[in-house]
Amino acid sequence: MKIPKIWNKRNRVLLKELIKTDFKLRYQGSMLGYLWAVLRPLLMFAILYVVFAKILRFGGDIPHYPVYLLTGTVLWNFFTECCGQGIQSIVMRGDLIRKISFPKWIIVVSATSTALINLTINLCVIIIFALLNGVVPSFSWLLVPFSVIELYALCLGISFLLGAFNVKFRDISSIWDVLTQALFYAVPIIYPLSMVSATSETFAKLLLLNPIAQVIQDVRHNLITTEAQTIWNYINNPLMQIIPIILVVIILIIAALYFRKRSKYFAEEV
Amino acid sequence: MSKNKKPVSSEIAISVQDVHKSFKLPTERAWGLKQAIFNRLKGVKGFKEQKVLRGISFDVHQGEFLGIVGRNGSGKSTLLKVLSGIYVPEKGKVEINGNLVPFIELGVGFNPELTGRENIYLNGALLGFSNEKMDEMYDEIVKFAELEQFMDQKLKNYSSGMQVRLAFSIAIRARGDILILDEVLAVGDAAFQEKCNDYFRSLKGNQTVVLVTHSMENVRKFCDRAIMIENGKIAAEGDPEEVSKAYLALWK
Repeated sequence: MKIPKIWNKRNRVLLKELIKTDFKLRYQGSMLGYLWAVLRPLLMFAILYVVFAKILRFGGDIPHYPVYLLTGTVLWNFFTECCGQGIQSIVMRGDLIRKISFPKWIIVVSATSTALINLTINLCVIIIFALLNGVVPSFSWLLVPFSVIELYALCLGISFLLGAFNVKFRDISSIWDVLTQALFYAVPIIYPLSMVSATSETFAKLLLLNPIAQVIQDVRHNLITTEAQTIWNYINNPLMQIIPIILVVIILIIAALYFRKRSKYFAEEV
Repeated sequence: MSKNKKPVSSEIAISVQDVHKSFKLPTERAWGLKQAIFNRLKGVKGFKEQKVLRGISFDVHQGEFLGIVGRNGSGKSTLLKVLSGIYVPEKGKVEINGNLVPFIELGVGFNPELTGRENIYLNGALLGFSNEKMDEMYDEIVKFAELEQFMDQKLKNYSSGMQVRLAFSIAIRARGDILILDEVLAVGDAAFQEKCNDYFRSLKGNQTVVLVTHSMENVRKFCDRAIMIENGKIAAEGDPEEVSKAYLALWK
């Protein structure tokens, strides 16, 4: 599967058309429409902010903690939304797959792209919040897109792998729901990483090996405050530092191979 | 392979060589993780193999109108899906020369929340047409469907007859080298059907068409050649008249 071959005009047109449809249909019939893309993370942020910053008083030593918290929630929301849509996508589009032949990867990419569009909108909201909060713009902001690409690559890998698996074993999406709930607490979103490192340095380092945690901390570091601990300033071993990226690459490769092998039979099994 | 009596063209549009296809049908509810693990532990396969196509070979020449007939469950729809690239044959080969436009079902991907216009472009993209190509065909499609005033309405506000007319118009106005149609001739009211019949007659000799149908009348009217499938094999092949006789003889 060479890139020029799969990125041909026919596939591009179809991908564009499906993304357009998905995005149009997402907020169909709701009064606030696209605004929900921004409102949802903001409302979730409001809840977390009241509970964790005001009542439980987490993150007292972190500058711009509200924006710091918002960044974490937005990125986490992107991860769950993207994977959730991606894993369901093949089964959801079963009627299409049964009746027409086209490259199946387009389904997964189009289903996940809505989340990517939402993330872009939300990052703009974060930047506005950051400026209001007194964060000074810096060149390190330009590094944020790379983190987003890494996170999206991880989402695609998970979506391709579990989306293909979900065709045969519909339990996957339920298992995934529970798994993300657990994962939420393993990622320093609502609590600052410094809280963990105060108890156990090793455990804090272990948490950072998770690509999601690594990306969230990187974005916080580059966008909001250099005081955010990242894998690059907290773990000294260069080999350890690239573990999250290697994980993403491995997941993506396994997913691509598995998806390619299974996609031929989606029409019969879905 | 029997020779076509009056070959429309010597160029081959579709070549089907010894195609086999079988399905694994679950014997019990094996569609879950729990059952899959149980079956693995018990050594139960959890499915039985159903052979649907057992060695089908034929050619379709360019410009030929081929009819495929057969009883329910004979394997003709599976064959059509193999031709359309939806199913991968386990054995054998399908070669397609040209751009194949399949209509296994009308209005694939139609979404009730989208407008008629949006649905035409989405459907077109699924069939492999670029937006420019769809721009060219758009007016003709709308005109043929007689839905000019309704294109900016959501599909859910269409009557079912209107929906089918729109879908059908895309199907027959879509310019592909090869058209694959599965029993879609009987749509709309009498006037619309007459229009469709005229259109099919005009296609005859100009367009490669593979049509699956239960209507022997249509086979005799439109097809240059016909194939009857029975139990996953070709049971009769050749002149539409003879094949439709063989088909009707199945019930005697």
